[in-house]
Amino acid sequence: MFRAWPVQVTIFINNWGITMTWVTISLSAGTLVGMAVIMTYILGWANKAFHVEIDPRVESINEVLPGANCGGCGFVGCGEYAEAIASGEADVNKCTVGGASCAADIASIMGVEVEESLPYRPVVHCGAHYAERLQRTEYRGEQRCQTANIVAGVQGCTFGCLGFGDCTIACKYDAIHVIDGLATVDYDKCIGCGACAKVCPRNIISMVPFRYEQMIAVTCSNKDFGKAVKDVCTVGCIGCKACQRNSGLFKIENNLSVVNYDVYNDLDDSGIDNLKKAMDKCPRKGIVFIGKPSEKDILALMHEDIPKIAKPDFKTTVDDTEWRG
Amino acid sequence: MGYIVDILLIAVGAALINNFVLYYFVGICPFIGVSRKVDMAFGMGCAVTFVISIAAFLSWTITTYILKPGAPLSKWIAGLFVSPEMAANIDLTILCYIVYIFAIASSVQFVEMYVRKFFPALYKSFGVFLPLITTNCAILFACLTIMSNVAGVDNPADAWDLGRSLTLAVFGGIGFTIAIVIMAGIREELELCDIPKPLEGAAITLVVAGILALAFMGFTGVDSGLKKALTPETPETVQVQVIHNVQSLASSGNYIYQ
Repeated sequence: MFRAWPVQVTIFINNWGITMTWVTISLSAGTLVGMAVIMTYILGWANKAFHVEIDPRVESINEVLPGANCGGCGFVGCGEYAEAIASGEADVNKCTVGGASCAADIASIMGVEVEESLPYRPVVHCGAHYAERLQRTEYRGEQRCQTANIVAGVQGCTFGCLGFGDCTIACKYDAIHVIDGLATVDYDKCIGCGACAKVCPRNIISMVPFRYEQMIAVTCSNKDFGKAVKDVCTVGCIGCKACQRNSGLFKIENNLSVVNYDVYNDLDDSGIDNLKKAMDKCPRKGIVFIGKPSEKDILALMHEDIPKIAKPDFKTTVDDTEWRG
Repeated sequence: MGYIVDILLIAVGAALINNFVLYYFVGICPFIGVSRKVDMAFGMGCAVTFVISIAAFLSWTITTYILKPGAPLSKWIAGLFVSPEMAANIDLTILCYIVYIFAIASSVQFVEMYVRKFFPALYKSFGVFLPLITTNCAILFACLTIMSNVAGVDNPADAWDLGRSLTLAVFGGIGFTIAIVIMAGIREELELCDIPKPLEGAAITLVVAGILALAFMGFTGVDSGLKKALTPETPETVQVQVIHNVQSLASSGNYIYQ
């Protein structure tokens, strides 16, 4: 197909061949140098003629952002968020992964004051493990919450966690796991991107502003009347209003106790006493502290016998493999 | 007439029969990489078509005037130093790869600056793939095909002119666009499919690409049929056929025709 190497260069070693060789080599060099000069000139002209002004702040914001591209801010990736900040369309404190320090850095780049931003963390509004859920039937369809949610009768409670772990699959940070049928957040690993809350078909995961390491939460989302709840669950909220009577933090909406996180910070000593009373009074023990273990919890564990060597639990990966299709 | 038929055959050949992606398997990187969404794939196809045309123009010009044996420019420059017979033998086709890559890279750089200035949305959607066109082998393949048809032919009269070269490039680019848009359409549907786990991702994409290539094999032979249909039977060819028939009859020992 293609022409072979010029025979003159390689075969003939006489005067004629050597002259040809040198002429060929110099012409090759000349061609390349000539092209280089022409292309450089054209590209140099184009660089000036097609110059685009880029906001230098976009790049510096991009450097400050974590670059995880998790989408927790509501934009596609960190790059789009950086552009939105620079053009003034977005606030500086939307990045949940970077947190307060990131927001402060971006604010200093943009020359604005950062408003107080609380880290948002997911709360699973369900507290029932397999043992506490009633009317469960074996489900043999595709082992996903999204599909199981469509099918009636997988379990009695139509509000609670299904436990097939769509949230576990959605989480990029290995921070939510299904433990005994209940999605449980690992708050040490969680960065609050909200992927689990978006993917949950029953919307039982909500993003809550974590003012402290541990927060009060109601672990139920069943809006049915008390009797109906008792039929399907042994720990679900029955809407008895015991918490509402004892503490202003709670409110019963649609037969379900809801925490008002806006007044969370304003609790004084009597408020905390009321809160404790409300927690004691809850007949279903559905009001719990969730979040990272506090120092007190860790201290309490210090005196207990904790095995020095944790034995690994060997399991073949075949057991976990999910075959579909 | 012959020229137009030739152009038509080159066009159909480059776009469908010998599709760059599905027949020669060049340009696979963007074919797999940017075929997630139809509109993005179409943008990529347009960019490749654009760059391939510029590169074909550059490579045809460079090959015809500088690289091929006896090219006017190199002949003239060499003639200043050596005898005319020697100057006519100067062959710079060894430079083809480096010169074409150089030309392609420069034109991609130019296109990138142009698109960034005038089509920011397109620039954004291309992302990293616009610079990657530089190393898209479909473009180098087009350049090398043009070179082999300009400098590699035995009879100088058979060498391709600019029109044929540009036809190959433009329709090669259109063929690339067709292939990548079909692929993107299939992949958009694949997103909704329940694919067996071991086949998810790149595996099913390559399987689909293979089936697509098989489907495009169906165009094989279209060119000879087209050529037959479009070439009018001139008296010369008829005569040749008659003589051929006579000879074949004679050789088969059949003398009845008289």
